[in-house]
Amino acid sequence: MKSTVWMNMRPWIIFAGVFLALWGFGSRPDLFARGGNDEIRIGDGKGDWGAPNPYAHYPRGPGYIRMSWVFDTLIWKDKDGAIPALATSWAYYPETRSFVFQLRKGVKWHDGKEFSSADVVFTIDYFKQHPYCWVSLDAVAGAQADGPYSVTIKLKRPYAPFLSYVGGALPIIPKHIWKDVPHPQRFTQPESFIGTGPFQFRDFNKAKGTYLYTAYDDYYQGRPRIRRLIYIKTKNPLMSLLSGRADLVTVRPDMAGILKEKGMVVLEDQRGWNKKLMINHRKPPLDDKRFRKALAHAINRLEIIDKAHQGLGSVAAFGLLSPDHEFYNPDTPDYAYEPARTAKILESLGYEKDAQGFYMKDDLSLKLELLTSDITAGGEPMADRDGEVIRKQLESAGIRVELVNLEQTSADNRVRNWKFDLAISGHGGLLGDPEILNLMISPEFKGSVNSARYGKNQTLLDLLSAQVAEMDPEVRKRLVFQIQEVYADDLPAISLYYPASTSAYNPARGIDWYYTQGGLALGIPLPQNKMSLIR
Amino acid sequence: MTDTRRLGPVIAFCLAALTMTYLSYVLPTLLPGDFVTAMYGGSQVPLTEEQESELRRHYEGDTGFGGYLKRLATLEWGYSYAFLKPVSALFFEALPWTLLLLGSANLLAMILGFVLGVEVAWRRGSRLEKGVVGGMTLLEGIPEICTGVILLVLFSYQWQWFPASGAETAYVTSGFFERCIDLGRHLALPLTTLILAYLPGNFLVTRNSMIMVMKAGYITTARAKGLPPRRIRYVHAARNALHVVVTRFGLRLAFMITGALVVERITAYPGLGTLLFDAIRARDLPVIQAVVLFSSLMILAIVSGLEIAYRFIDPRIRHAR
Repeated sequence: MKSTVWMNMRPWIIFAGVFLALWGFGSRPDLFARGGNDEIRIGDGKGDWGAPNPYAHYPRGPGYIRMSWVFDTLIWKDKDGAIPALATSWAYYPETRSFVFQLRKGVKWHDGKEFSSADVVFTIDYFKQHPYCWVSLDAVAGAQADGPYSVTIKLKRPYAPFLSYVGGALPIIPKHIWKDVPHPQRFTQPESFIGTGPFQFRDFNKAKGTYLYTAYDDYYQGRPRIRRLIYIKTKNPLMSLLSGRADLVTVRPDMAGILKEKGMVVLEDQRGWNKKLMINHRKPPLDDKRFRKALAHAINRLEIIDKAHQGLGSVAAFGLLSPDHEFYNPDTPDYAYEPARTAKILESLGYEKDAQGFYMKDDLSLKLELLTSDITAGGEPMADRDGEVIRKQLESAGIRVELVNLEQTSADNRVRNWKFDLAISGHGGLLGDPEILNLMISPEFKGSVNSARYGKNQTLLDLLSAQVAEMDPEVRKRLVFQIQEVYADDLPAISLYYPASTSAYNPARGIDWYYTQGGLALGIPLPQNKMSLIR
Repeated sequence: MTDTRRLGPVIAFCLAALTMTYLSYVLPTLLPGDFVTAMYGGSQVPLTEEQESELRRHYEGDTGFGGYLKRLATLEWGYSYAFLKPVSALFFEALPWTLLLLGSANLLAMILGFVLGVEVAWRRGSRLEKGVVGGMTLLEGIPEICTGVILLVLFSYQWQWFPASGAETAYVTSGFFERCIDLGRHLALPLTTLILAYLPGNFLVTRNSMIMVMKAGYITTARAKGLPPRRIRYVHAARNALHVVVTRFGLRLAFMITGALVVERITAYPGLGTLLFDAIRARDLPVIQAVVLFSSLMILAIVSGLEIAYRFIDPRIRHAR
């Protein structure tokens, strides 16, 4: 009898035992969670952003940031703006079209060798010979050492973004290591991670998406405030932050309330990243700017933000540059949501409505294809919910739309090859140097999938060339103002909105993270400034 | 005659393997876009035409199917564009994690499903049977992404018993015992999700087979002989229901790479599914080709292996002409 009871109950007793054992281990989340209090863990959804050297990191913001812990630049930024890094001072000499940098003395590479002007000259030469996709040196003629701690960098032509795009973004690499490297793309040996930055690279695991750095005690700006910096891959940033497995994560803006309640600090970035509607302005009827304006009037951007993003975002400026940018022109043409104006423009172009209320011309229906895909923003892929809203808006304005949702690279490939009508895309950099206007408008960048690549307006092209060559900030500002006006009038692409960008960190770890004004380097909108761990 | 009969399956196997090798070579190349578009196309810093063609030259290494076969014959799997590492190194880094997750999930789900199916079928008509069948049918209808998310919300977010992501706590120096516990804690949620996904099918298949088998005359004979019930259940009845479960186990294992993709994605588990997913997104052809090849050859090998296994499990097949 006793044996029968035991037999019947045995599975349940075993189950209860396993459950209690799991609960015993599980209820101690901090038991084996991390190494100690002298480390910071940053969570990221993608994990792998390439090995952190200049030629191996992926050409996106998170890849650059991972490299920036190891390699310093001549200039950097902190909370308040530009600060000296490897250079202590700099000046521009218009008569010789050159920048002269005075370099810091006593800086040592991670392998103990001394840093000098030879390394800077070598870096310029090497990057000219082996282009680094993150920084263009097209405007640079060359560099020469004026002494062990002074360098002159000569320009081919005046180049206004030099300090932001080269001085503040070009990682300086050690000559004694890279001089014998003929194929930098394949150089991932341990020496390729020797820099002058505040952290030494220790490990990177692609499969797991983890990075390990340790503090460089001889860092010239002082010893970092933590011993270890770790990146972990997490698909659940909120849970990782709340369970103490990560100390800083990018979160969805609607999670801000929960995190604040739990004592976390929530950071909101400025409007530096925009979602935009790419237009194939090479094919009719989209090659007519009047038609593009009709489209703009048919799109209710506030409704997209409300319906697809719970109201978390703000409408974008049609002139591309962010309203938070110091060169933003508030008087650019605006296209309010007015379907009546869409109708008026389309009718003036000869379109008539059919029995179903859709426009047609010369017995042909007006039908556009709208490509959508998941887009990576701030390192996190965002599922597209905008396409459906835009489709409905355009259809209610009488324009038939076929919505096509593709995997990102497939969609990118079609945009790149001009095999599309409309496509939803996005990019950042709207708070950085105004050269972003050239990158996102000029037809020079044929392979880009988020640049308008628009070459039909010679005035616009001339203005773009002029603004990057204008070294006087006030004159340049006027040129940038004009560019925004002309661009918004031609509408080769339609800026839709700036999604709210939010990060959160645990203040108990003692580090104050912040978004850098204008973004890091070329305008990266991530709150992972190395100065947070130094000062 | 006998030699021809033996050679037939071998030739068929070789032809199928060659076809799969060709498909694994050619299909990934048909994906729209290439590595340069995937990696640099959406960059904030667009490439000039010159930079783009330079990169394309750098990444163009296609030597045709002949060259591909030659490389495979010398165990040269190629070099990953995105990961800058030999493909074999990447593959063998990810394989143990997939084996750990999928292997244990399949094995546990098979054993549990089989034992439960046998026991419940034996108690046919009882309240236990009705309850378990109802529960399992319900569970069978819930997709694993749903189970996974519910488990994450409860056990990771709400109670914080188990970590939400990854396969282990990164960069923690600990002893063997602590590491095992850490691995187990990370494995708990994805493993439970997969077990809950696989278990109902195994259970229902076993139960149905058992019900059929229990109607057979030899079971009545065994009962009449007064053999112990457990012996009748497992030696006489369950053995004949086993091959269905083994087939299911084999096929599940064959789809090891894609089988856990959803769970690997939601828990950031670093297995082969994640590797393949990332490689496809980056259009990293050498990695895609290697993983697809391995996957397809594994399906072929397991299906062939199952043919042999049946002969041992079910003597009727061995003696059939």
